Amino acid sequence: MAELNKEKFVIRGKNYVTMESISRPSLSFWQDAWRRLRKNRTAFIGLCIIVLYVLLAIFAPMLSKYDFHSMSTEWKHALPSTEHWLGCDASGRDQWVRIWMGARVSLSIGLFSAFINMCVGAVIGGLCGYYGGKLDMIVMRIVDILYGIPSLIITILVMMVLGKGVIPLVVALCIVGWIGTCRFVRGEVYRLKEQDFVMAAKVLGVPDFKIIIRHIIPNILGMMVTNLCMAIPGAIFQEAFLSYIGLGIAPPNCSWGILAKEGIKYLRIYPHEIVIPAFFICTTMLALNLLGDGLRDAVDPKLRGTK
Amino acid sequence: MKKRLLAAVLAGTMVIGMVTGCSTPGSKDSEESSEKVFRYSSTTEPTTLDSSKCNSIPDNEIQHAITESLVRNTGGDVQPGLAENWEISPDGLTYTFHLRDGIKWSDGEPITANDFVYSWQRLLDPETASVYAFIGEHIKNGALVETGELPKEELGVSAPDDQTFVVELENPTAYFLSMIGAQAQFAPLRQDIVEKYGAEFAADAEKNVYSGPYVLTDSSNRTYIFEPNENYWNRDAIKLDRVELSTVENTDTALSMYEDGDLDYVEIPSAYVSQYEGQDQTFMNGNVDYLYINCAADYVSNQNFRLALNYGINRNDYMKLAVDDVYVPYASLVFSGLKTPNATYGEDYDVSVYPLDGDMDKAKEYLNKAMEEMGIASPSDITIEFTTTDAEANKVIAEVVQDQWTKNLGINVEIRQVTYSEIYGNVYPEGDFQVGYAGWGADYDDAYSYLEIWKSDNTMYKLNYKNDEFDSLLVASKTETDEQARMDMLNKAEMILLEEGAFVPLQTRSVHYLLNDKVKDLTFFHCSINRDWVYADIETE
Amino acid sequence: MLKYVCKRILAAILTLLVLVTIVFFLVRLMPGDPFTSAKLTKEVAANMNKYYGFDKPLIQQYFTYMGNLLHGNFGFSMKYTNRTVNTIIGETFPFSADLGIRALVLAISMGIVLGLIAARNRGNKIDFFCVIIAIIGTSIPDFIMGALLQYFFGIKWGLFPVAKYQGLEYTVLPALALATYTLTSVSRIMRSSTLEVTSQDYIKTARSKGLSEGRIAIKHQIRNAIMPVMTVLGPTVASVLTGTFVIESIFVIPGMGKYYVESVTNNDYSMVLGMTVFYGIFLVTCNLIVDILYGIADPRVRIGKK
Repeated sequence: MAELNKEKFVIRGKNYVTMESISRPSLSFWQDAWRRLRKNRTAFIGLCIIVLYVLLAIFAPMLSKYDFHSMSTEWKHALPSTEHWLGCDASGRDQWVRIWMGARVSLSIGLFSAFINMCVGAVIGGLCGYYGGKLDMIVMRIVDILYGIPSLIITILVMMVLGKGVIPLVVALCIVGWIGTCRFVRGEVYRLKEQDFVMAAKVLGVPDFKIIIRHIIPNILGMMVTNLCMAIPGAIFQEAFLSYIGLGIAPPNCSWGILAKEGIKYLRIYPHEIVIPAFFICTTMLALNLLGDGLRDAVDPKLRGTK
Repeated sequence: MKKRLLAAVLAGTMVIGMVTGCSTPGSKDSEESSEKVFRYSSTTEPTTLDSSKCNSIPDNEIQHAITESLVRNTGGDVQPGLAENWEISPDGLTYTFHLRDGIKWSDGEPITANDFVYSWQRLLDPETASVYAFIGEHIKNGALVETGELPKEELGVSAPDDQTFVVELENPTAYFLSMIGAQAQFAPLRQDIVEKYGAEFAADAEKNVYSGPYVLTDSSNRTYIFEPNENYWNRDAIKLDRVELSTVENTDTALSMYEDGDLDYVEIPSAYVSQYEGQDQTFMNGNVDYLYINCAADYVSNQNFRLALNYGINRNDYMKLAVDDVYVPYASLVFSGLKTPNATYGEDYDVSVYPLDGDMDKAKEYLNKAMEEMGIASPSDITIEFTTTDAEANKVIAEVVQDQWTKNLGINVEIRQVTYSEIYGNVYPEGDFQVGYAGWGADYDDAYSYLEIWKSDNTMYKLNYKNDEFDSLLVASKTETDEQARMDMLNKAEMILLEEGAFVPLQTRSVHYLLNDKVKDLTFFHCSINRDWVYADIETE
Repeated sequence: MLKYVCKRILAAILTLLVLVTIVFFLVRLMPGDPFTSAKLTKEVAANMNKYYGFDKPLIQQYFTYMGNLLHGNFGFSMKYTNRTVNTIIGETFPFSADLGIRALVLAISMGIVLGLIAARNRGNKIDFFCVIIAIIGTSIPDFIMGALLQYFFGIKWGLFPVAKYQGLEYTVLPALALATYTLTSVSRIMRSSTLEVTSQDYIKTARSKGLSEGRIAIKHQIRNAIMPVMTVLGPTVASVLTGTFVIESIFVIPGMGKYYVESVTNNDYSMVLGMTVFYGIFLVTCNLIVDILYGIADPRVRIGKK
């Protein structure tokens, strides 16, 4: 048995530099979220599709030799071919260009109105939920009133004042749209503010503002992202419904809703005219939902650092 | 995992059970019998069952079956109705009708001449506020009673006795009999019934009594059930046992219902007309669609420019691109199927000014002349605003016209969509437009109905069109008693409009429909009523 | 609790009054009037205005209307002359409500089940499958969904009647078409909130106590995860029950949805107001119920607390 003695040990001292260093890079909340999002394969595919569609919407109409409004009797109801990649509609207009012109309108309406709705709704809903009481009571009654006004009246009046187009549509959709998010966020905040970690923060004297930013918002962000991803198709369909009753954007511009509506008329004889716009609407929604789920997981504070 | 899936499936079936397990309101047992039932649909819900207030073709079609006027107009053929015979004074201003003996309402009360006096006065009474009161302006003092300047008793109608009804007219009106035989506003009404229900008169099937070949037995849930009126004077001529009219707004659904055997008659949505070639039949509904031009607005105030617009449209291409080639391209105003003394308007007169294929050389020529007159260098400096309602079909029409003018003339066209209320409430009455899409269907079988819009004293449409010869032709036609001479005047007036490019004609409507082979003797008409099944029959094996 | 409910009911009445007032004046701002038509002469228009009292000052019309409203009288429709708005609502609401209830039961129950399954299988194939179902539900607008269901199930395969509303088999397709959107949104939100709940301490506690997964799901997960779903459902229930224009028109259901849309485009003032009040009553009731249920589902939320 070897003898242990003092000589066999060397005092190396404390190296404060290595002790303090963290072997892995420190990540902020958003860096971590991005890292997790990238690792999530399906979510990343979703993101790629959205980016691709946005790029196509911007560039495809510029690069095509056709424009979206020129008609031709010769190409009426043409099937997809090398000449017209996605075929032509009932008036012989090139569908490829129309799809991407429509994407400009639909995607911008969907993204803008959903985003504005979410921001406005979250702020107001957050305040109501957090402070409750009279403020909540009053805002919720206003919400009830706004919900009760037939949205068509609002749309018609907005269009009467602002004319037809993407911006008036976004405005019309936003006037009422935010209240959905507002009610929703309010409900969530109501629930969260009674939870222990908020209590703890309160007891520790953290100011309200900081509690909302640091503790409540990260906790409802996931749900809000899900909500946002539902709101985008919601807005796109709202536009489609408005064009269904003739209140959409001004002709000859088109949107996916208009293309789908024109296509459904020919369902029985020219199914490609409905299948193609439906395909793009569906894949966009799929991408948004995959991305939404991924984002939800990525921003979930409880899942931070897992996997 | 399996357990959970199983639970989900179970929950699912439970839900489906719940969803399908309760009864629905309005459930009906379908009855199979040898009854002769005719089922058809209408895309627009009738707005009223009160004959004085009828204001659309669907309204009129219902009334045509449940009311009987002095005469009955079946597809343009006028036969005695409740009046057995009548005399017309030599100046064409006084009509004396002699009612049949023993005619009765559906509740058994006798129909008298006073029922007509009451009804016609009620139509024009300002307190009734009938949308269609203007149609009574043909009767002497009609216009004055309508505005309340004369009491309704001053209207030119009277009943010397229970079986005699006398009408005095403002002008000799050749189409008077045809009109009162088709427009429901001239049907008799029972004063006691109208007063009993007050404002809710005819709100549903029970709140009325009927004078016509059928009675309305049910009007709930947007479905109208008709059964023969046993008290009708000509009961034997009525073959059907029941008629069901349902409101089906979606034309694709209506087609599906026909194919499923739920309907005996359906109008084919334009998209699918080509699919039914050979099986479909058509009728003309008398609607002519065109573009109004505000002759005081920029650019279009120039006659050469207006002609350029007219020659610059290839109406055959337009038809293919805008409406799936189901209507008829049209380059004039008056519907060609209207009745003239010996034939039809289209057979009597040649009104072709603009070729249906357009004439691009002529269009350019007129455009250049116009630009010279207006001092404009390039067509691209011209921008025309095209106003239309927001209806789905009108959008494509606007896009096609835009495409044609842009391509053929090189001018810019902007489309402005407004609501129906706005276009007829503000845009046209106030003349707030350059070019606007609209259509017109006649209320009576006469060219005057189409032409009077361009009369310079018309207040409903501010077209700012003024041509003294046109105005005087229309005024003179009112008092002309020789029928052919009157038609010549109206034709001359139409030619003036065409030569001055006062409007841009586009199409006239043919309706493509499918009809169950067993249904016989369905008739069609191009004004007031489109589909007339009063004398229809169903073949039984 | 009782005090809170009373307060809310009072607030609801006030809300409705404000709503009616706003809508009363808003509809008058819209272009045109209820009688506009291609054939309306100036003389007739004047008579119509007098008949409906539009020649009187607006403020007087307002008080007349409110007076009638307090008696539960919505007045006569201006488009469907001779018929009162009360009659029209009375006739059409049962159809819309019947269809709505079927669609809601389907949507809520299936939505919750789908969301739960997706969350508990997060990231694997079953989750992905649920996502795909949800996508199909949300990404097809109702007018396409309705037309497709009708064409394939009704015409091509002949499984269900194509249209009308006369019995059990007639209700399946429209209920399905109406349910899809709600179903998907419920399932998506349910998935999210279940995930939220799953990482909570009480679930861990339950698990460490050895409770079975089924019990955890029922006793702890669903009860807590369902709250956000309820928030979304308040207004959805109100709007689904009072009818949907597109589905009703595709399947020829004599419901209210048509009038809700048409009255606005026709400027049928009394109908717009009648529909608004009716829908408003529904809306505030649904929201009130949701708020009360909140308190029941989550004991930590004591409603009405300052």
